[in-house]
Amino acid sequence: MRRAHLLGLGFMAPALLIVCLFFLAPVIMTAVFSFTNMSSGTGISGGAYEVTEKTVRRLPEHGFPEAKAEMLAQDVYRIDPAGLTALGAGYGKALADEVGKSLSGKTFNGRRDLERALKKMKARPRSIREIKVAADLFKRSVLNTRYETEDAFVAAITDLDLKLDTSERALLSKVAYTGWTWTTENYELIATLPSTLRAAANTLTYVGFTLAFNVGFGLFLALATFYLPGAQAATFRAIWILPRILPPVIYIMMWKWLTWDTGFISSFLSNFDVTPRNWMLHSDINAWVSIVLINGFVGASLGMILFSSALRAIPSSMLYASEVDGASRLQQIWYIILPQLRWPILFTTAYQTLSLLTSFDYIYLSTDGGPGSSTEVWALYTFHTALNNYGGALQYGLGAALALVLVVIGIAASLVYLRLFNFDKLVAKPRIEQ
Amino acid sequence: MTNLSSKLRQSTAAAVLALSATVFAGNAFAKDLTITVWAGGSNDSDVYRLDAIEMAADLLTREWEIRGEDLNITVEKKRDFAGWSEFKQAVTLAAEAGTAPNIVVTSHLDIAPWSQAGLIVPVEDYVDLDAWPLNNIYDNLMEITTYNGVVYGLPQDAESRPFFFWKDTMKKLGYSDEEIAALPAKVEAGEYTLQNVLEDAKKAVDMELVEKGYGFYPRVSNGPDYAQFYQSFGGELMDKESGKLILDKQAMTDFYQFFVDAVEAGVTRKNHIGTEWDQWYSEVASGKAAIWHGGTWHYARYTTKEGLDDFFGNIEFSLIPAGNENGRANTITHPLAYLLTAQEDEEAVEITAQLLKIASEPRINTLHAIKSAHLGIAKEQSNIELYANDRWAAEATKRLLPHANAQPNNPNYGQFSEIMFKGLETAWTGTKSPAEAVAEVEAEMQAVLGDDLIVR
Repeated sequence: MRRAHLLGLGFMAPALLIVCLFFLAPVIMTAVFSFTNMSSGTGISGGAYEVTEKTVRRLPEHGFPEAKAEMLAQDVYRIDPAGLTALGAGYGKALADEVGKSLSGKTFNGRRDLERALKKMKARPRSIREIKVAADLFKRSVLNTRYETEDAFVAAITDLDLKLDTSERALLSKVAYTGWTWTTENYELIATLPSTLRAAANTLTYVGFTLAFNVGFGLFLALATFYLPGAQAATFRAIWILPRILPPVIYIMMWKWLTWDTGFISSFLSNFDVTPRNWMLHSDINAWVSIVLINGFVGASLGMILFSSALRAIPSSMLYASEVDGASRLQQIWYIILPQLRWPILFTTAYQTLSLLTSFDYIYLSTDGGPGSSTEVWALYTFHTALNNYGGALQYGLGAALALVLVVIGIAASLVYLRLFNFDKLVAKPRIEQ
Repeated sequence: MTNLSSKLRQSTAAAVLALSATVFAGNAFAKDLTITVWAGGSNDSDVYRLDAIEMAADLLTREWEIRGEDLNITVEKKRDFAGWSEFKQAVTLAAEAGTAPNIVVTSHLDIAPWSQAGLIVPVEDYVDLDAWPLNNIYDNLMEITTYNGVVYGLPQDAESRPFFFWKDTMKKLGYSDEEIAALPAKVEAGEYTLQNVLEDAKKAVDMELVEKGYGFYPRVSNGPDYAQFYQSFGGELMDKESGKLILDKQAMTDFYQFFVDAVEAGVTRKNHIGTEWDQWYSEVASGKAAIWHGGTWHYARYTTKEGLDDFFGNIEFSLIPAGNENGRANTITHPLAYLLTAQEDEEAVEITAQLLKIASEPRINTLHAIKSAHLGIAKEQSNIELYANDRWAAEATKRLLPHANAQPNNPNYGQFSEIMFKGLETAWTGTKSPAEAVAEVEAEMQAVLGDDLIVR
């Protein structure tokens, strides 16, 4: 028994591994990311501590004493014994002596002035980079220095002797931190941003109409070709399968040729005095019709194949019997064929809902969400937010939260389809079984 | 995860060290380097953004050779990115994965977010800004590549974004040659405004000099150009005191309204955004549009690929006109910058910085400036024949640059401009009225930018 279990597990292992690697792990990572404010400005791998002009401007807004903030804003280089010792150790005694003799006790505001002074030294290092590194030995402020750890940062701040209390020091660390932090803000943003609400409405429109077209038209094609002679049926099916097998980019390019101002539709309609226009992007309605048709033809061909094969599984004796009883084509379809297609229809509906929810490739290539975000569905909005926009402001955290919402909706929809789909109401019971 | 990757990195580093040790055991000074350069938004005429690094590598190798040291630099160049979005995505993700290119040629606007994220290092840590050729670069350009008081990048080129008028159409509208020649001055003085643009464009459409939708023919995608129209109506992008971004609701509404009016008057197409660039270029360069706006580098495209032989005989150019009494005639310069990415090998970063320095030599930069019709970065370029004898560079520099301003270096500016453009799109395409669009922009900006935004 145990061995059989193990063997079963062994056979399942590759599948389990794939599910974990390509589904569970990404979902878990997305969930983790969604509770952060990660963006291209904070980086993914972690942050550092840095006091910049911007930090100094922000500190007083958070209640940090202004006088102390101003002290942080200073960029001081002081020629003191500690610096000279370090200089001697790194660049030789000659340079340390020379600097000590001519500059000892002096203070420079900013590295550039000190650099200029060091460049006059006879024993100076020959590379400009080394002069800069040497100058940094005299830095007695923290402005614009990046500290990789909080300890190093706190140590540097303590050296400045600003007399900060614990809460001020904590505040300083918080404001100076450049990396991402944990937050639930993304979900608040999703609930309040007008653009997410629009994306949600767009997704409903997109999934609803495309799904209806996919299933309805796929069913129509399957039934229509079912009643055709074999060779003709095969030809028609082959033609309707084209959208599915064409590479998306070429398929969309053909749609663009069809709908452009100078494209086929406009040229054809100009014969009837219709002003040429872009039939894909002229208005929201145009865009939606294009989107539904573009995706619909692709989905319909998949439905057609599934329904056609299911149709062949219906015993032909039933159809003959119904014809003997005098049933019309419509009665045949309604009472014999549809009831036996319920599982393929359920499967296609469920599968297409889930894939439409997360798909945006054809929309991205055709309208890219336009005109004016009117066809930007949730998945495309997520992609734009997290990974692709003109300014390069990639918001990984918000994008992950958006993606996670989609995962949750997807799982919920699958449950609904699996448990609650009341098929009896959709189609009547087959008469033949009564 | 971090442990694993750091171990991987360590072992790779060890392997590389071992390998280089065996290969170069005979020569203590030999250094082999592969420098990768990625340039965004670059087409055929922008090849010198990359080639300049190759030329610099050749010079630097010779300098090392004279010093008796052996340096071999292989420059790997890449510029075939689909667009700015894809380029920035590629750079950001590569940097997070630890495989960033050594040099990126990109918008100065990337300095703020990328320096904060630690993806780039300040170029001022490696080069002498007081020495040739960097001390010859225009100060205002250096300021644009400075963030938080630190010079992060070196300006790679300068440009500005003018308004264009097709002379033939303007003449048929009743302008004399002298009046057309005086237009740029009138625009600058605020006497010819965007309202006049609408009137003239409408006349051109009504008189059937151009087709409907071709009276005013704007840029087809998001870009700094649109911030110019915000400025034309009195908008300001950043508060100098606090460094915060500004949403001026009145200016934003007026700016959106202008495009809505243009669509209603039939001078601009409702579905204009998203037009293919190739189509756009060939149309404006052949006089299909009456008035449009673009960039100084368009000169190169019009006169080469689009075959416009006599640019100055056919086209007049000016600043972007003022929109109303609140605004001013303006133009935005959006210089690209050479940025150094953070790398493990400190010496490689130093050598890379030397390459950037050499590539900024006026003579080398002039090759780029003239070939791509950009403007120069250094004062001495006006003493280089190739640059000085180029009529476009000279006139565009004189007429536009004194009035040019740059967009602010602020880590949130990318989002600001994205939201502003989306708002424009919804108003332009008639999805929302300008006032509604601005209300949505305000809600989005306040939610996303928080206390980095001032609303007026």
